[in-house]
Amino acid sequence: MVFRVLIFGSLARELSCASIAVDVPDNASVRDVNEALAVRYPHKSTFFRGARLAVNHSFRSADVPLRAGDEIALIELVGGG
Amino acid sequence: MSATVRIIDGAIGDPAPVLSPAAQFGAAIVFDGVVRSDEGGRTIRALAYEVYEPMASNMLAELGREMLAKHGLVAIMVEHSRGEVLVGQRSFRLTVHALHRAEALAAVGEFIDRMKRDVPIWKTALHDSPPVPS
Repeated sequence: MVFRVLIFGSLARELSCASIAVDVPDNASVRDVNEALAVRYPHKSTFFRGARLAVNHSFRSADVPLRAGDEIALIELVGGG
Repeated sequence: MSATVRIIDGAIGDPAPVLSPAAQFGAAIVFDGVVRSDEGGRTIRALAYEVYEPMASNMLAELGREMLAKHGLVAIMVEHSRGEVLVGQRSFRLTVHALHRAEALAAVGEFIDRMKRDVPIWKTALHDSPPVPS
């Protein structure tokens, strides 16, 4: 399955994009998306392995399985207020 | 008890008068976050806020409900800007009503700490001129 992981803020500016496409197996979990991001950006692998991912607008634990069409967003480096 | 959330395009306006006709609360705190002229050691003209919706509103409401229960508040109202807010303008307002000041003050501090850590809102400093190379 291919997911487009939404990114925001300083990370989006640094990578010059608003989303990152990752290709994971059909039975992939949230953790697999973290790993795919880390592999794609090895210079930021530690960050991506530990990054919080929201699925369909809620934080999910790392072992939650994904389904085609899920909306995934990387929620890090936030700074409201 | 109530928790309300509003995401507002641009700056936040003046606060509404505090009314307590039934004397339901003895403490009313209105905290305004204002855009400073300095961000990261550089002068800025504005901040641009990016809000991931509906997750941000849902999390702010959930956090508000948690503060209501934990601190025994009467009401909590959250307003946050989206888009560009100029220096000197308000980008965030937290209004807390409680029976006494102690729980109101505690709730304000905890809410803001948690919001800055968890809620999907990002800000970008907007400058008039490019940075000077060091």
